[in-house]
Amino acid sequence: MRHAKWLVAVIGVVTLGLGVGAFVQAQQGLSGEYKIGVLEPLTGNLAAEGKRHLEGMEIMRDLINERFGGVMGKKLTFVVGDAVDPTVAASEATRLATQGGVKIITGTFSSTLCGAASEAAARQGVIYWETSCVDPRLTKRGLKNIYRTEIDGTGFGWYNIEFIAKHLSHRLGKKPNELRIAYLSEDSSYGQSVTETARQRAKQEFGMQETGVEYYTFTTNDLTPVILKLKGQNPDILHHIARNQDAILFWRQAREQNFEVKAVVHAGATGYGSPDFGKAFGNDANGPFALIEPGVGFLIEKLRPEGQRIERAYREAVKAKTGNEIAGGHQLAGGGLWVLKLVLDAAKTDDPDKFRAAVMALDMPTGSGLNGWGVKFDENGQNSNPRVQHYMLQWQNGQLVTVWPEEFTTGRGKWIPLGPWDQRK
Amino acid sequence: MHVIPQLVVSTLLLGGIYALIAVGLTLIFGVMRVVNFAHGEFLMLAMYLAFWCFALLRLDPYVTLVLSLPLIFGAGWLSYRLVMRPVIHASHNVQVFTTVGLSIALQNLALVLWTADAHFIRTPYYAVVVRLGGAAFNLAQTVAFVIAVLATAALFAFLRWSYTGKIMRATAQDRQAAALMGIDTGRVYSLTWAVGVTCVGVAGVLLAPVYPVYPTAGLQFVLIAYVAVVLGGLGDMAGALIASLIVATVEVVGSYLIGTAWKEVLYLLLFIAILVVRPAGLFGQRGAEAIGT
Repeated sequence: MRHAKWLVAVIGVVTLGLGVGAFVQAQQGLSGEYKIGVLEPLTGNLAAEGKRHLEGMEIMRDLINERFGGVMGKKLTFVVGDAVDPTVAASEATRLATQGGVKIITGTFSSTLCGAASEAAARQGVIYWETSCVDPRLTKRGLKNIYRTEIDGTGFGWYNIEFIAKHLSHRLGKKPNELRIAYLSEDSSYGQSVTETARQRAKQEFGMQETGVEYYTFTTNDLTPVILKLKGQNPDILHHIARNQDAILFWRQAREQNFEVKAVVHAGATGYGSPDFGKAFGNDANGPFALIEPGVGFLIEKLRPEGQRIERAYREAVKAKTGNEIAGGHQLAGGGLWVLKLVLDAAKTDDPDKFRAAVMALDMPTGSGLNGWGVKFDENGQNSNPRVQHYMLQWQNGQLVTVWPEEFTTGRGKWIPLGPWDQRK
Repeated sequence: MHVIPQLVVSTLLLGGIYALIAVGLTLIFGVMRVVNFAHGEFLMLAMYLAFWCFALLRLDPYVTLVLSLPLIFGAGWLSYRLVMRPVIHASHNVQVFTTVGLSIALQNLALVLWTADAHFIRTPYYAVVVRLGGAAFNLAQTVAFVIAVLATAALFAFLRWSYTGKIMRATAQDRQAAALMGIDTGRVYSLTWAVGVTCVGVAGVLLAPVYPVYPTAGLQFVLIAYVAVVLGGLGDMAGALIASLIVATVEVVGSYLIGTAWKEVLYLLLFIAILVVRPAGLFGQRGAEAIGT
């Protein structure tokens, strides 16, 4: 018995030593530094999500350096810029390129900012690597050094209608062409691209009935008139694309006005997809769906082995750093930076032509990257919408639970139809 | 027709919020001729005050409101002494740059101290709604509206009938003449600034249970408050209240009848139209910009 204890102790010490040794070796194996520019809104109205994205980038950077051999064998470092609005985003992109000496700029998460930042980066001849903004125009301007790892707004719209037609309609006991949908959206290119794509697909492919469409500025102070109109339209489903405060305002006022709809569907890490929504309402947030990266209930073992490895490592790192569950902003930023590392490792250079060749050659099936993403860029620099697997999450008792596609999760959609406000417990 | 009661209620509640913010702004402009671009940041700071009192001390925002009035007044007075007094006799450009600078500094101070995350106050009654005559009243917003009307009336009465109010009006009408009559205009300005900040501080504490609290929370209200102040006549309390209700009416009714995307176009068109006809605003006197008129 005494020998057994000693044996366990020795094995423990050796294992610890090997772990520390491997860590030190991983750090020491890096020769020199490789610096990229990170541009996010860190002040102003978009700062909350911008900071979350930067946090996600930093956690992934540290993970890459400590456990995955850095980039091109070097330690990855950041020069950070604050992109408070489009004008500043452009000037900061220029500063990072000219004074920061970076050859690659990544960011900026918001569709309000990415166009200006990428344009300025292109003028300086540096590579622009977008991780989150979904404005479809970003990769359609003939600029060959601009890439996006996330799907664009058309992908969001496509997925939302897929979910409504293939999952919600039968749960609601209706055929897709019997569903009545109202569209409500904030008026940036993010909201417009998602909404218009969803409208088109819903009508043309499934013959869904549109009861109305309304756009608003996300800083609005009152959405009661909109809710009164929606009550008059009596839709089955509300397709609502929101930024942040507007989702909170809408939900509060919808409850005040006793506006009952069978389902609310959103797309993106903002609005209903942001942790702020749950913080604002607690269990009163129960019900709405948000198309984002996978959350609680996600079956990581459904991914390919290489996908499982990075997914587990990143989730643990986020939890250790923040003390909270991973959020959509972390996942978008981390997922995008992970793909950038893979490209740089393959290209072994940041020369734009060789980098582009490596981007185009990268071919990863769905389930092999972070968030279950796959990779196959098109000539415009847009990652393949079908390969960037997305998931529908639902607010359930303070958590965003992954509920669809059902084969990837233990979670299941609840409150379909939503029912009275006081019965969503 | 069945939506009319709700549209009226929504207009009143929204107008009440704008009025709460606008009265402090118009007071400062009326007496001091200073456009306070940091007004929204004082609103934001008061929202944070209510939030932290609730989060750390479990103080209800209405208790915080009563307890914090001297604190807010003191903060206003201090900000005048430290920031505004040195530039009070400088050109308008210098004053504008000073208040814009103060605004940016306060916004970023909040960002550094409390991060950009939105915070929320969920009181036990946060979801309480009063339903009456086909309309729903949010309780916290209703309280804010009632206090807006009372605060405006109290300020109006204070300026009209109190001795200090008369001194403030005299200073507003002619700074030099007031000084020659023995009025300490420096004290009048510090008092005016502190009262103006207290007004917006009250607004901030009252809005904290209704809207999320974050470093740029003041911006979405203060632009509309500027419109209401100019529309009502610079320095006119009752004008600010009525103009706030007009702006809210255009917003609510325009959103319902035409579309939410049009509401800013609508109230700014109305704003331009009124200023073309009455350049001093609805209730302001041309060239005088005096309070209490």
